[in-house]
Amino acid sequence: MIDRCFYQYFLVHRPTSHSSSSVVLREFNFRLHRPLQITTMGSVLAASSPSPAPPTPGGAAGPGLTVPPGFGMPPVSSIIPQTGDASGQQQETESSLPNPGAFDECHRKCKEVFPMQMEGVRLVVNKGLSNYFQVNHTVLLSSVGDSSYRFGATYVGSKQMGPAESFPVMVGDMDNSGSLNAQIIHQLANRIRSKVAFQTQQQKFVNWQADAEFKGDDFTATITLGNPDVLSGSGIVVTHYLQSITPALALGGELVYHRRPAEEGAVMSLVGRYTGSNYIATLTLGSAGAHASYYHKANDQLQVGVEFEASARMQDTSVSFGYQLDVPKANLQFKGSVDSNWIVGATLEKKLLPLPLSLVLCSFLNHRKNKFQCGFGVTIG
Amino acid sequence: MGSVLALSSTSGHQNWPFSTEPTPSRWDAHPAHWDSPPRWERRDGRLPNPGSFHSLHRSCKDVFPQQIEGVKMIVNKTLSSFFKVSHALHLSAVSPSYYRFHVEHLQSDDYSKDKDAPALIGEMDSSGSLNAHALLHLTERVRARTVFQTQQSQFVTWQFETEYRGNDFTAAVTVANPDVLKESVILVAHFLQSVTSGLVLGGELVYHRGRAEEGGILTLAGQYSRPNWVATLNAGKGGAHASYYHRANKQIQVGVEFEASTRTQETTTSFGYQMELPEANMVFRGMINSRCIIGGVLEKRLTPLPATLIMGAFVNHRGDKLQVGLGVNIG
Repeated sequence: MIDRCFYQYFLVHRPTSHSSSSVVLREFNFRLHRPLQITTMGSVLAASSPSPAPPTPGGAAGPGLTVPPGFGMPPVSSIIPQTGDASGQQQETESSLPNPGAFDECHRKCKEVFPMQMEGVRLVVNKGLSNYFQVNHTVLLSSVGDSSYRFGATYVGSKQMGPAESFPVMVGDMDNSGSLNAQIIHQLANRIRSKVAFQTQQQKFVNWQADAEFKGDDFTATITLGNPDVLSGSGIVVTHYLQSITPALALGGELVYHRRPAEEGAVMSLVGRYTGSNYIATLTLGSAGAHASYYHKANDQLQVGVEFEASARMQDTSVSFGYQLDVPKANLQFKGSVDSNWIVGATLEKKLLPLPLSLVLCSFLNHRKNKFQCGFGVTIG
Repeated sequence: MGSVLALSSTSGHQNWPFSTEPTPSRWDAHPAHWDSPPRWERRDGRLPNPGSFHSLHRSCKDVFPQQIEGVKMIVNKTLSSFFKVSHALHLSAVSPSYYRFHVEHLQSDDYSKDKDAPALIGEMDSSGSLNAHALLHLTERVRARTVFQTQQSQFVTWQFETEYRGNDFTAAVTVANPDVLKESVILVAHFLQSVTSGLVLGGELVYHRGRAEEGGILTLAGQYSRPNWVATLNAGKGGAHASYYHRANKQIQVGVEFEASTRTQETTTSFGYQMELPEANMVFRGMINSRCIIGGVLEKRLTPLPATLIMGAFVNHRGDKLQVGLGVNIG
């Protein structure tokens, strides 16, 4: 299993991550700190550290919320005030049921297996200025779009919640065209974590949201308020709830309510996740479509993922198969994927020891449209 | 220089980055089979043979990185000491992808790769374009070369060259695209003479004739070489081409090139360097241009595998374009 490192660990020890860091934001991975009662499941999931997901899970993108591509944000989770009796239930549930994790992380394990598409030349320089502060520069020379320079800074506070978690976490990212990406994540109380995020496209705000997540003993409840606009009376409220039924099974739901001056609506979807000894199967069903994913860890080196997505809005379905091959001796990680859209892609990531250098080669081929894209990147530090 | 360059077998500037002309279907890495070793390596008291006219600017051009785009995989297989085969698969975003099959048959296995070797070379594309070269040593001093190139089913080049290598001079005559029906032909005559041990002077006369017009262009060439550097100049009515090659040390080679063409009315200056790191099995070539093109290509041998990894990128700042290429050579 890939050792996803939290950023404080990242600052101090500077591992070169195998993470498929997005162009816009470095993915920040929280190692969920659970008290010692864990892992009767003995599953991969227990020790997994979920990484940030886009704030709008599949099918829940409301009409007012436009997330520019690549602007992924860490998961948002918050309290649900509506299910007041759920909090009462938690005293009756057995204490051996583990916390199911964040709602957005359900499909994460499978998605991480797939290669991330990149093109052009990318140079990333990470510099840790102190134990708390880290800075990164990204230069992207693109063959199809615009080239850009991006400057990012990360601050990790000193409120220690566990061996690998510290709060508050402040992440900011600025583009050469002035687009900003900013997040603040803070642990408000023992079980409540909150996040505030802003995104601008040059000078215009496209995304501003706040959320709060409550982690119970065996459930997680989250509420997110997205793009609230008092003046025009619009906004999006997303509530998530995920409950462990058995040590392996977790069920939950998501309710998205969006409102604009002219219309309002709600979308609901249900989620089920079953974790086996070396596999995780997840299913999301809703009025906006279905999303099923299966993740299988064959051995220490090979992980496989299969994903099925159906969208009612776009009226199409797609199936993807991906695999990840780790060769730690060669400091190599290879990800490949095949799609029902006739897209074949692969990514090769190699750490060039003893330099603190990491090389990424990537190429994607769309057979149906006869389009080809290749790129490589170097990460320093 | 326009018409001469079209005939030249060196692939220097036709494949120059971001050229608007379609890439001609000839192979990129022109083998230095039939050009003699660099002049400064031959010191036997007498004036050495100056080599062929095409290779005057070769040492400088070799320093510059080759344009690379998309993903290319080349598998070379040596079937015997006479016979070599290579498969090339190229996936590209800007030009059509192709598979190319390349065959080399050496007439004799006495020759090593970088000496003049009589050979038959053929290359076939997945679209049907053919590239065929035949180099024969008729006698010890006389060589003949035949080139056929087709673009799918249409012949674009068919030329015949005869070269005589004297003790200290080289004379060559080339007949290119002779067409009896259209009454057109291009005749090129080259002459190079070693004047001193470092100085070579010569000239090229191009006569072209079509149905409607005929003309001749005379170009004079001079090359001066020392153990560490070579300076070459071609000047004529068609333009000028000057190049300077310098070998700084075992690892670094530098080249500067200046080209001016009266036909296209433009000039270009390029600066390139090549850095070899044999301990790291790596060769890096970089280039910067007066057309605001910057490029670099890195080649690394992946020992112990018989594979070479090539990564390169070319940026045209003026047109704001980027070309990225990856390649793997196996065998």
